[in-house]
Amino acid sequence: MNAFEARLETELLKVVRERGAARAQTWARRPGLVERASGRLLRSPGLARALVTTPSLLLPWLIASAVVLGAGAGATLDTGRPLVALLAPAVAAAGIAYAYGPGIDPAWELSRSMAVSDQMVLLVRALGVFAVDAALGLAASAASGTAVGITFGWLVPMTAACALALAAATVARSANAGVAAGLAGWTIMVLSSQVADGRFTAAISNSALILPYLAFAAVCCVIALHATRAPRGTS
Amino acid sequence: MNVEIAGLTRRFGRTQAVAGVDLSAGPGVFGLLGPNGAGKTSMLRVMATVIPPSSGRLRLLGRDPGGYGPRREIRRRLGYLPQNLGYYPSFTVAEFVEYFALLKEVPPARVPVAVATAIERTGLGDKARARLRTLSGGMLRRVGIAQAIVNEPELLLLDEPTAGLDPEQRVAFRALMRECGEHATVVVSTHLVEDVGAACTEVALMNQGKIVFHGTPAELIARADGTDAAGDAPLERGYSAVLAAARSTTGAWA
Repeated sequence: MNAFEARLETELLKVVRERGAARAQTWARRPGLVERASGRLLRSPGLARALVTTPSLLLPWLIASAVVLGAGAGATLDTGRPLVALLAPAVAAAGIAYAYGPGIDPAWELSRSMAVSDQMVLLVRALGVFAVDAALGLAASAASGTAVGITFGWLVPMTAACALALAAATVARSANAGVAAGLAGWTIMVLSSQVADGRFTAAISNSALILPYLAFAAVCCVIALHATRAPRGTS
Repeated sequence: MNVEIAGLTRRFGRTQAVAGVDLSAGPGVFGLLGPNGAGKTSMLRVMATVIPPSSGRLRLLGRDPGGYGPRREIRRRLGYLPQNLGYYPSFTVAEFVEYFALLKEVPPARVPVAVATAIERTGLGDKARARLRTLSGGMLRRVGIAQAIVNEPELLLLDEPTAGLDPEQRVAFRALMRECGEHATVVVSTHLVEDVGAACTEVALMNQGKIVFHGTPAELIARADGTDAAGDAPLERGYSAVLAAARSTTGAWA
């Protein structure tokens, strides 16, 4: 490349930058209220963006959650059994397992090279899934006229089921393994509680289970954090 | 030096993808050539801090990526285009580039201009608001390049960047590489020796996880002198000569 071509390239770059600056005003996206608030809370505009884009990245999960919980609300109204409360933890666990990871997130490899760690992105996405499912579940519970104790009773079991799904998905590096673990764990819990207590809703209404649920969730979260920590490697 | 590598290895189970590489590179465009399975992609993934090395010493931009703080600092100044760019189909071009600008911790006030400039530099200005699912393979490759350069990286790692680009786009992309190489270290893994001849100031040739040649493109061409190496262009003949020599010493299939 001669001096003239080099100068030409430099001039072209200058033009491109000027055009970029002009176009920036046209293309600039103004973050919404939730994104701005999340950015301040998380102290990271990148994490805030990851949080608010979660539902659009997991659209099939969002639709499935709404459909399952809607059907559960209808069935609860018909049968009088608190099906929403029993379905919500399983639905949320499946969503959490699909929140992130190799084979699930198309841009996973790219995300691994970012300054905002993929572990933090995973955590905010899991939080996003949890929050949306909790909101949908509460709405479905309220719509089906479930007792207040049961409406809120499934939030703690849902935390435990989600934590189990997240831990299994990150350890096995497989969303399907996470879904299987979350669903199996919750099903075993519901059935064993019914056998032990004699009530269909024991898994969500027995207050003695709250502490074990929370302890179990904490252990699963530690496992998930360990499984997703950045490898130190050799240097 | 922006890249300092000594005795680097990377294993996947019993397979040794990178087998004791020593390499250093400063500003400029550095071409990484080699046949399929030579270890180029593994080398780039280690340099991109996507996977850690199994052993050896690695310093990027004067920092040790083994620690959290230095790794984060390296990643702020790093641009990476993986061989298979995963993307979110519902994102627009501008949204995708902006998302990764934010994850690279580009200061929020600078993000709009950085995104627009990266999109303009890759010639995607008319497609900035198009959804990624509507773009062709070549355009998606340019979107990948746009996200890689959005933070004006000091270390730019590109794995097969010209795959899927038409000849005109390839010429424009080589000019972009040269621009970036004026201030940054650009490492390009490619099968296309024309890319190396047109844009690279230095070139390394990998075979079976090792670097079997490191020099300038002119030096690679000179390796074909006095041999009957195959190839349609001087660089191709140099490439073939070096590979043939490496395989004759290891006894590997040519």
